[in-house]
Amino acid sequence: MSIAPDVVARLRSLLFRAREERELAEELRTHVEMEAEHQRTNGLTDVEARRRSVIALGGVEQVKEDVRDARGTRLMQDGAGDLSYALRTLRRSPGFAAVVILTLAIGIGGTTAVFSAVDTVLLQPLPYQQSGALVRLYQSNVSAPESRNFVSPVHYVEYRTQMSSFESAAAILTYDDTGADIGTGDNVRRIRLLPTSANYFDVMRVQPAIGHGFRLEDEDGTGVEDNVTAGPVVVISHELWKQQLQSDPAVVGKTLVMSGRPYVIDGVMPAGFKDPIAGAIDAWVPIDLLQGHDPREAGNHYLTVIARLRAGTPIARAQAELDGLSVRLQQQYPNAKTATAHLYSLKEDIVGSSSRALEIMLGAVGLVLILVCVNIANLMLVRGSERTREFALRSALGARSSRLIRQLLTESLTLAVAGAVAGMIVARLAMSAIVAIGSGSIPRLASLSLDPRLLIFALLLATLCAVLFGLIPAVRAARTQPGEALRDQSRSATSGGRSMRLREWLVVSQVAVAFVLLVGAGLLLASFQQIRQVPLGVKAEGVLTFELNLPAARYDSTARAQFYEAFAQQAAAIPGVRAVGGVSRLPGTGAYHSWGVTIQTGPLAGDEKRRNTGADNRVISGEYFKAAGIPIIEGRGFTAADDATAPDRVVISKSLATAMYPGVSAVGQRLRTGGRSSEVIGVVGDVAVDNEGHPAQYVYHAHRQFAGDRNWALTQLIATTGDPTRLEGAVRRTLALRDPQLVMFRPVTFDAAIGRGAAQRVFTLKILLTFAAVALALSALGLFGVLSYGVKLRSREFGIRMALGAERNAIRGMVMRQGLTVTAVGIGVGLLGALGLSRLMVAVLFHVNPLDPLVLVGAVLFMAVIAAIACFLPAHRATSVDPRSALQ
Amino acid sequence: MADDRGELLQGTLEMLVLKTLALEPMHGWGIANRIERMSGNVFLVTQGSLYPALVRMKRRGWVRAAWGVTENNRRARYYELSPVGRAQLEVERASWRRASSAIDGILNIRFALGEA
Repeated sequence: MSIAPDVVARLRSLLFRAREERELAEELRTHVEMEAEHQRTNGLTDVEARRRSVIALGGVEQVKEDVRDARGTRLMQDGAGDLSYALRTLRRSPGFAAVVILTLAIGIGGTTAVFSAVDTVLLQPLPYQQSGALVRLYQSNVSAPESRNFVSPVHYVEYRTQMSSFESAAAILTYDDTGADIGTGDNVRRIRLLPTSANYFDVMRVQPAIGHGFRLEDEDGTGVEDNVTAGPVVVISHELWKQQLQSDPAVVGKTLVMSGRPYVIDGVMPAGFKDPIAGAIDAWVPIDLLQGHDPREAGNHYLTVIARLRAGTPIARAQAELDGLSVRLQQQYPNAKTATAHLYSLKEDIVGSSSRALEIMLGAVGLVLILVCVNIANLMLVRGSERTREFALRSALGARSSRLIRQLLTESLTLAVAGAVAGMIVARLAMSAIVAIGSGSIPRLASLSLDPRLLIFALLLATLCAVLFGLIPAVRAARTQPGEALRDQSRSATSGGRSMRLREWLVVSQVAVAFVLLVGAGLLLASFQQIRQVPLGVKAEGVLTFELNLPAARYDSTARAQFYEAFAQQAAAIPGVRAVGGVSRLPGTGAYHSWGVTIQTGPLAGDEKRRNTGADNRVISGEYFKAAGIPIIEGRGFTAADDATAPDRVVISKSLATAMYPGVSAVGQRLRTGGRSSEVIGVVGDVAVDNEGHPAQYVYHAHRQFAGDRNWALTQLIATTGDPTRLEGAVRRTLALRDPQLVMFRPVTFDAAIGRGAAQRVFTLKILLTFAAVALALSALGLFGVLSYGVKLRSREFGIRMALGAERNAIRGMVMRQGLTVTAVGIGVGLLGALGLSRLMVAVLFHVNPLDPLVLVGAVLFMAVIAAIACFLPAHRATSVDPRSALQ
Repeated sequence: MADDRGELLQGTLEMLVLKTLALEPMHGWGIANRIERMSGNVFLVTQGSLYPALVRMKRRGWVRAAWGVTENNRRARYYELSPVGRAQLEVERASWRRASSAIDGILNIRFALGEA
């Protein structure tokens, strides 16, 4: 027998229940009438015939019930009844329902979002074939094997040709954002370029979807820099192909003009391909590796190297081979005698620094999830006890306990489903928030998507929690004798009881968890304060910065030198502008162009061991020192006289001056760096290399003199007297007056530009603050709920006490004391938790002891205040009991 | 009504309904009345057993129901045998024959097993 008609019939019964009932009634009535008619024809009176027929046929209602049973929809109909009953009860206590649903939503939503983030960033493999074989190669120094430096082109070429453990090794230039301007007129925009070695696509195991990648000969000087060669080529992204080339299928061989120079299109990458390190890229160009064959460049570190290990080669064996090679290379290149190299798994390298932030996030969300479960449990228990009387009454009226339990289950499940739906919404919101806050500082986060498995996990957990704690009171109610419960609830004036104590412990755990999160957030906040107070050696307030690149095709070095100076003068004339200057890299944003420096004069000049040192090199234009707020301590800064025709001159930082020319004045001394010997004409104040205030030594070159070295894209600093962001329009107009095709790239305040490096800490801070706030709210809610309930149960007792002459203050004190005792125990437990937390936090803290007394005391006070507020309302309510009504 | 008439076993009732409907489509009271008459008033078919049985048979696809008008111009729900129901009647008939001949066989044994 097929089950189809069965299912159809049952469904129909369910859907058209009212009609079926009507028809059944009619059918049965017809039956009775027919029977009566039949009896009548046999000679009985109307009334008697009808009476007999009804007796013969059995009670109509009973028949209806039997037919309903036969329809096979009884369980479903009862379920629907339970559901509507549950909805009715919940509508009667909207506060309870709202709090449970909200709590569940936070639990499900927050957990899902955070777990998804951790999964995306930490757990999922990189989206490349056999990505486990990808390694990142860093150069380091024998004296500092832990350091991770970029790779010199000379060493890269050696590694690529000599390492048998490598299937291939690619070099890319992520050293700084390389961009190009495309389009004309108003449509001009900056795209992101990634210079790569020819074998880049082999190492990634992703080939262009259309056309082909680069050839080895493309590496011979086809850069985006000045070194002009025949036939520059480019591989473009799927997106650029769509936007700029209208998805032309025959695009290979056509020309794309970037920064005014024509490039031949070699290929189009598949949609969605991203570089593991640089991320979304618009176009790939061959890297210029001519320098790799010039031994003088062995000390010039600027390449990022990613290698693919041969199948089955462990990273340790490759490292051993690399160590051997490093020793040989040290002898071969006298200017890189101390260079070594280390391999790291690419994935570890990418996510390494952010894993701690995510672990903390995971820990925080775990704690919040515990809080959510505890809160739900608490709410359900309170509600269950409130309804003991209702259950007792219904049980006394004959409801079976299984029916009661099923009804409570329906209620819990209704709440769980509503919470789950709200949770999904929260998850979506939370995820976009996480991406918005973190994608700049946490790699791979931009590809975050909701993982259905995680959603199901959170859903199950919350549902389990709701159902479990929803059932406890039901089972308890089912077990008690109805009479006893009815008596107990209506008569007893004082309360105590086991469930009260269980709830208090739940609140203790809530307070403890909230306290731990509070301490974590407090520590990060303190770190943040510390970082902001670290002196960087610059005045970062009131300065607008943006990157400015002059296309080499239209500007030769003389034109560039002239342009930057002229722009600085013109922009300085804008009302409200104090000074304008340019620099090859902003201070506080990391090391850049760290070159060797040779001391040529002064006391150390003859000392072979000590006359070589290193320094960060900066190329500056306009009034850079004034714009950045760096004081000139000795000598002078650059002037218009320091141009290409003048002898080479540099300005150095104070700590470099002290280190290179101890005991004498640095002004007038000579040094050699960047391929030229220069006279020191001035000494300026020290500036930090990063936003944590790490000191560095600097050599400053005048762009007027050094423009020919390469196409320096100088970040412009516009120092103002007021709000720098309000000058953006005026600066943009000034720039357009000079050359409307130029792009004002990434305009941002100097403050924000320096802060960019701290983004990860900001991310962690924001997440922890959010969780701490949620935890506080939940624990306050828990405390409030338990105390309110206690007050409600004891209102009779309070009434009696007051009737016997107890002071209102004493009553209030009793309730407050109860709440604060619970809080104190919770804080005590939380302190132990904070001890455990401190070890986890060390990595993200800055100049703050993980057990900072100020933070701990602050957290205790904050917690106590919140708890006091949560206690006050129920305490106040306790005193508002009218003694007369309580005694009646 | 003094009643020595017996109620039917559930499965038996369904078989008899099938048999009744095999003759012609019929409404509920007609089915009950016909079974009573055909059995020589031995069986009593109550509403309480007839209508649940009809609902069950409808669910299984043995019968179809449609509203019609009786000869006395009364609206009534008529039940009609479906092909599945017709086949089911044969199945029921065969299994009834098997069961009743087995029961007959048992009842016709002359000596109790204990005496053998």
